[in-house]
Amino acid sequence: MLDVTYAEIQDILNNSKVDHLPRLNISILRNVMVESMLPYVKFLAYKMGFAAEIQMGDYDNIVQESLGIREGILKKETDCVFIFMKLDNLSWGLARKFSALGAQDVQNEVKRIQDTIADILTGVRKQTDGMILWHGFELPLYPNLGIWDNQTQEGQAGVITELNNFLKKVLRKVPNAYYIDLNLCLARMGGKTFYDERYWHIGRAPYSREALREIASEDFKFIRSLKGQSKKCLVLDCDNVLWGGIIGEDGISGIKLSKTYPGSPYYEFQQEVMNLYNRGIIIALCSKNNDEDVREVFRNHPDMVLKEENIATSEINWEDKATNVRKIAANLNIGLDSLVFADDSEFEVNLVREAIPEVTVLHLPNDKTVEYRNILASCGLFETLTVSMEDRERGAMYKAEAQRKQLHCQAADLETYLKSLEMIAEVKFADDFTLPRIAQLTQKTNQFNLTTRRYSEADIKEYMEAESADVLSLQLKDKLGDSGLVGVCILKYIEKEAVIDTFLLSCRVLGRGVEDVFVIQALKLAKKRESEAVIGEFYPTTKNAQVKDFFPKQGFKPSSTSPEEAEGRYLFLLNQPIRDEPSYFKEIRHLFMNKDYQ
Amino acid sequence: MIRERVFKIISQLMNVPLEEVNEDSSPENLERWDSLHHMNLILALEEEFKIRFTDEEIVQMENASIILEALQNKCANA
Repeated sequence: MLDVTYAEIQDILNNSKVDHLPRLNISILRNVMVESMLPYVKFLAYKMGFAAEIQMGDYDNIVQESLGIREGILKKETDCVFIFMKLDNLSWGLARKFSALGAQDVQNEVKRIQDTIADILTGVRKQTDGMILWHGFELPLYPNLGIWDNQTQEGQAGVITELNNFLKKVLRKVPNAYYIDLNLCLARMGGKTFYDERYWHIGRAPYSREALREIASEDFKFIRSLKGQSKKCLVLDCDNVLWGGIIGEDGISGIKLSKTYPGSPYYEFQQEVMNLYNRGIIIALCSKNNDEDVREVFRNHPDMVLKEENIATSEINWEDKATNVRKIAANLNIGLDSLVFADDSEFEVNLVREAIPEVTVLHLPNDKTVEYRNILASCGLFETLTVSMEDRERGAMYKAEAQRKQLHCQAADLETYLKSLEMIAEVKFADDFTLPRIAQLTQKTNQFNLTTRRYSEADIKEYMEAESADVLSLQLKDKLGDSGLVGVCILKYIEKEAVIDTFLLSCRVLGRGVEDVFVIQALKLAKKRESEAVIGEFYPTTKNAQVKDFFPKQGFKPSSTSPEEAEGRYLFLLNQPIRDEPSYFKEIRHLFMNKDYQ
Repeated sequence: MIRERVFKIISQLMNVPLEEVNEDSSPENLERWDSLHHMNLILALEEEFKIRFTDEEIVQMENASIILEALQNKCANA
């Protein structure tokens, strides 16, 4: 992903104006030198559209700084805390002198480290709810016990693995805290490239420039996901991508696709695509072919891993690919910047890159078909912090959506169509079960999102527990399937007013009147909480233009007669009647199903 | 040729105009050239010229002319 040199990065950073960009506050706690990573961190932040503001903790002061001894290192506004606690500087015994330790010594050291980890996590969390990225311990390249290490019950590698397991376990219990596997980074590049022994000795900087680039890239997979910049849809070419050869010329028996060479790179690439599908990524096809030829392969080729049911939408025709990519985004009702376009042709890749700069392109070069699988797996574009039940079922949901579109075409008018769906909406308070999906929606939703505030699970939890706020979720199903949790509304009560801090809907349920149900529920709840007015906020972004008139449509009035003063704030006085629920729902399950609510 | 490339990288890493870089450039006269930026400079040079200095060479590279000399030796031997 990073194809610029270190000097070029410095040059870009020297000459770029970043003052107008939103800040990305990163604090780094460490017991080794990792300063050479900073250009990569700043550059990756810049590519995301952020100006990185980095607070560097003092050398080997992790515990002290986690306790807040130095002011300004950890703050409420901290977006992300990197922790580098290298074993060599934490326990010389476990890292370098393992051969001299007895079982009791090992146990004592393990206990001491576990306590230290727990103290640091508690300390950091007291100061900030920002995302914690903890870089786990590396396994030794050459264990102190040599080949014997793995044959004994309590070898060095085994003890360090156990420490990492402990670390992962405690991180799972802390909201918004994640384990970064340095052993993965190490394995990808090899130990000789990963470490720089010269600078370890000169300046206690253990990692090579290449390693720091890999580590920064890994960290930013998490940060991009946190900031809602992960991609949602992979658009695939067919010939020489899903199989070798041209289906229109070679025919179904002539294309290369099999479990053995030369068809195996394509087979394995498709398997990797399926991994994305199973993680909730939408798969689409964009191919210059006769539609029937491609469909025949999907239906009848014995070694196709991808099936027709995995494809949410396809544009298989002879039009130019930029046009087709736009159509795919429209079919799916998602933004162009949520798409990744993968093609083997340099011409097509460049065409799409030039015509639609918002689309990310992935070039799969013909002379590297054996690398296709790795190119896709390493791209880091589709990462998500959680894989929810909704993600796993997304493919089926998009199929159902296609069927809905067909019903829509058949129905005489919108109301008849909506009624024919037999929709059941359920609005309820957030709970621990729905919390991850709610946070995920605030992180990912761009279009139907009035304020685009991004929240971590920890943030949502705080609102759930606060007296002065309510977090609502909306779930929707109809006769074609369960769309799952698709709406989030956060109300904050400030004196006699209820402020709609967040109001969003997933793009796959737009145009079904769901927002009416949701807003009516929110108004009724505010009334029950004895608010006198509800304030709706709209913050324009490049993507949410479709909701700019949302509040006026829902009967809200501008909060001031002058548009400048109103600043996107709208008012709904609760002494006026709240309208009835729309009639085209089969059933609406309320917040409180009991009588005193009405 | 090597000289221009080295000066360019020094100017990029130390964030000064190329005209201000010469053989005498060193931590003494370039504000940003501290031990950390020295390390970053070495890493950038190694990437640019696809060479690798030894630890002893690194600690002896106290100014632009020594860097230039070390690099010319490396590239000549390569």
